[in-house]
Amino acid sequence: MSTRVDPSLLQEIKKYGEIHVEDCFNCGNCTAVCPLSNSNTPFPRNNIRMLQLGMKDKLLESIDPWLCYYCGECTITCPRQADPAEAQMTMRRWLTAQYDWTGLSKKLYTSTAWSIGALIIGALIVILLALGLHGPLVTNQVELNTFADVHMMHTADLILAALLGFFLLSNLFRMYLFTFPRGAQNPPPLSIFITEAWQLVLHMLTQKRFGECEDNKRWINHLILVFGYGTMFVLIVLFLSWFQTDELYPIYHPQRLIGYVAALAIIYGSGDALIGRITKKHQMHRYSQISDWLFPILLILLAISGLMISAFRVSGLPILTYYTYVGHLVVMMMLYICIGPMGKWAHLLYRPFAVYFQAVKEKAEEHNKAIAHAPAPVS
Amino acid sequence: MTEKTNPKPEETKIGVYVCYCGGNISDVVDVEKVAEKMREHPNVTIARTDMSMCSDAGQSIVENDIKELGLNRVVIGACAPSLHEHTFRGTVARGGLNPYFFHHVGLREQDSWVHSNNPGGATEKAIRLMYAGIAKANLLKPLDMIKLKAERHALVIGGGVAGLRAAYDIAGRGINVTLIEKTPFLGGRMAQLETVFPTGNNAREDLHSLINEVRTHPLITIHTLSELVNIRGYIGNYDVQIRSQSRGVSGDNAEAALAACTQEVPDDFNYGLTKRKVVYRAYEGCFPSTPAVDWEHYDGKPIEIDGQKVIFENKKKTFDLRIGAIVIATGFQPYEPPRGDYGYDELPEVVTLPQFIRHMGLRDGNVGELTWKGHPVRDIAAIHCVGSRHLAGVHEPQPDGILNNYCSRVCCTATLHQVNELLDEYPNINVYDFYEDIRTYGLEHESYYTEASKKMVRFLRFHGDQRPEVVAAPEGDTHPVLVKGKDYLTNGLEVEVPVDLVILAVGMVPRPVDDLVDMMKIPKGDDRFLLEVHPKLRPVETPVPGIVLAGTAQSPMNIQESCNAASAAAAKVAVLLAAGQVELDPYVANVDLDKCEGTGACIEVCEYEDAIVLETMTVEGKEVQRAVVTPANCSGCGNCVSACPHHAIDVQGWEVAHYEAMVDAITMEVEI
Repeated sequence: MSTRVDPSLLQEIKKYGEIHVEDCFNCGNCTAVCPLSNSNTPFPRNNIRMLQLGMKDKLLESIDPWLCYYCGECTITCPRQADPAEAQMTMRRWLTAQYDWTGLSKKLYTSTAWSIGALIIGALIVILLALGLHGPLVTNQVELNTFADVHMMHTADLILAALLGFFLLSNLFRMYLFTFPRGAQNPPPLSIFITEAWQLVLHMLTQKRFGECEDNKRWINHLILVFGYGTMFVLIVLFLSWFQTDELYPIYHPQRLIGYVAALAIIYGSGDALIGRITKKHQMHRYSQISDWLFPILLILLAISGLMISAFRVSGLPILTYYTYVGHLVVMMMLYICIGPMGKWAHLLYRPFAVYFQAVKEKAEEHNKAIAHAPAPVS
Repeated sequence: MTEKTNPKPEETKIGVYVCYCGGNISDVVDVEKVAEKMREHPNVTIARTDMSMCSDAGQSIVENDIKELGLNRVVIGACAPSLHEHTFRGTVARGGLNPYFFHHVGLREQDSWVHSNNPGGATEKAIRLMYAGIAKANLLKPLDMIKLKAERHALVIGGGVAGLRAAYDIAGRGINVTLIEKTPFLGGRMAQLETVFPTGNNAREDLHSLINEVRTHPLITIHTLSELVNIRGYIGNYDVQIRSQSRGVSGDNAEAALAACTQEVPDDFNYGLTKRKVVYRAYEGCFPSTPAVDWEHYDGKPIEIDGQKVIFENKKKTFDLRIGAIVIATGFQPYEPPRGDYGYDELPEVVTLPQFIRHMGLRDGNVGELTWKGHPVRDIAAIHCVGSRHLAGVHEPQPDGILNNYCSRVCCTATLHQVNELLDEYPNINVYDFYEDIRTYGLEHESYYTEASKKMVRFLRFHGDQRPEVVAAPEGDTHPVLVKGKDYLTNGLEVEVPVDLVILAVGMVPRPVDDLVDMMKIPKGDDRFLLEVHPKLRPVETPVPGIVLAGTAQSPMNIQESCNAASAAAAKVAVLLAAGQVELDPYVANVDLDKCEGTGACIEVCEYEDAIVLETMTVEGKEVQRAVVTPANCSGCGNCVSACPHHAIDVQGWEVAHYEAMVDAITMEVEI
């Protein structure tokens, strides 16, 4: 079964990033120098070749771009300045858009107007809801739970989490479908999916492949960011009534302490990425699409506005506390609409799932080989 | 050894020199031991070793020894004679000896290089070879170079770019040139090109600047529609016969004949893409501008010109010339793929690169969209190495049984140049380039590949034994043709490329020149190209003295290389003819008239025309037949020596007695 070349694919993918893979002559130095690729996943050379020839199905099936953490070694080594690392990045964006069934992802990645529009809509949703649903503004002392009823907010958070989960998981399901296309010979048996599931948990919690890149400082920073973000996400979605109280606890109380540490972790992690993108010191930060800017900026704003709410509350400034609270929600909504399940945020599942799927693929291949070599049953 | 062939020891004073060759010899052969052994020989006055005999220092040792020790023979054991025999002969002459009192023993190619695993044996062999050299040196007689008067007139065969360049350069040295061209027009293959790498210039403009220089040069005579039909003689004195056909029309009725002619044939200038009349000009602006009748295709019917019925007549004439040297510049023809190969000649969308270049040249301002046979061209595949780098068992041999296993060298860069130009004009066309290896060799030519990459030409590599397949697309497909192949760079993935046009980058094959080869007795390589004497050191000379090669008759070359070769050939001709005489090695047959009985056995075995003939002469009052050698025609092969029943013939410098003495010496008891 031969694969038909499609010259239009490259033009399509070029909309997602700064790629010039036309310079590549497939020497494979990139793959040789990459600390993460191996003979089962010979990226970046392999998927750049598919990109050159326009093999859309093969690229969709490939999860290799997710296995790359953009250390940039390949780009530094490339004798043709074809920038393989940025091609991986671009393919991740394209894949994200392909997984997304709503089609919104493509618009957000390829159009600045759509991104700005999404930000405005996110803000408007929160502002309109706040105008309609906010409680009385108590001005003689800070009563945040009167302004925004914690049970109502908790319900809203759960609804938002459910929506995020719905979009993200449905996109993830499409990733699964692309990666294991129907009609393929011997699809992996369910048992392998189950026995390899530990990989998913391991990589989601540790992102340990990131640490295999030559410069593992970025891995530590990312881990700090994930820790901070994950902590806040769990606190807000599951324990909001414990977290958002009008009663003021001392600073060493876990409620405040955890919040501060997590916020600072987010600021540190995203700040590192943002400074990187501004100074362009490292390979991975040379080209920035709007989504690359928005993600760290919104995360920092989220953490800072969270800290400000706390500060105004402790200082007894009710109106500022309420307004900042609304601002905080605005930033959050912007984040999830603009780069949520349709954007860069989704990599929090795509990456560990890619490692998991790859492990399943490899196990399945071993399994198939074992079957092929097994002696015929005696009848 | 008999008394007669072995001079008394006091008569010969031999200097023997054994070269280290910078380790090439001495790493295997115990050079010092060889020299020590030579000193034991009664005829050897001195035996020395040196790191490099061919160096100035090494040569002056020999010169000094001749002068100071009164040496009268020199034997040097060094590299192969083909490399430095000539050098050392000069050394000996500078020392004051006859240059043929020297014998060169090959201790490198014949010994150290081939016996590197057996140094002891190699040393013994060196000693035996040197003894043989000494045995021969004892018998050497003084010889002189053969000097021949040379006609200061060169013949250039072929009016393409190489022939034109050679003719102009020879004439520039003040030597008369006759240039003959088989077709009615000058220019050859270059005229059929459009822009050419590496300059991007228009090929015909460049060509015409050269044609203008040639045709206005007072020392150059041009004969179109002419070919060589006979040749006799030797360097400096070739008698050639040339046959010319007439153009069929003259200046008076040429234009009218051209207008009136109605018979049409496929236009070979456009590789059959168009038709032309049998009275024709190859192209607009060609030289000579007078049209000519295509005698091969003209049906002989009368054509009405100015109310008169005219039948064109081919008035052939032959004429003789005396020529000093000949340049063969007969050129190449594009490889013609067999029917069905890559769909050639079966699918209308498959063309050769030369055809495609003509197609591009024939467009009349159809900018904006490229079309082929009325259909828009959106996607193009180019396939490299068609007719080149053939593999046994994969490719069908040519009708003559030959596999074109050579690289045609020009096609990679020519294809990419053409593709780049195409994409400049039509940036929306997708080009797929199927290649085995991209060989855009040459200064700056890699940029053609880089540029094509930048323009997103998609390169697909295939193995020589897994060639892509060109097939008609199924009914209703988006494109008429599919190219299917395994993409080596995607780990052998089966790839299918839908295209509107397939360009086959065909290689070069030499124009068939078997008539010249037979007439001149020049060698052809296994690949049919004419063969030079030495690919590095004597790259444009044939083994026949005075006949040199220029351009693609010798090997695939681009225009630049063809002109290089042509200028080199011209320089060679100028060196031969400028002095008005030529010098040849005296290693030719020599008849001892006392022994000759005039049997003619020598003539029967002689492979060279007029090298040895029977002449009538008077001996003791009787008219007898005796063999006489014309040294210039003799190659010194020795056939006649072995055929003569009376042992009356010897090759000078390589006499039978020399061989006998050498064999005796080689088989002597040697104590190591």
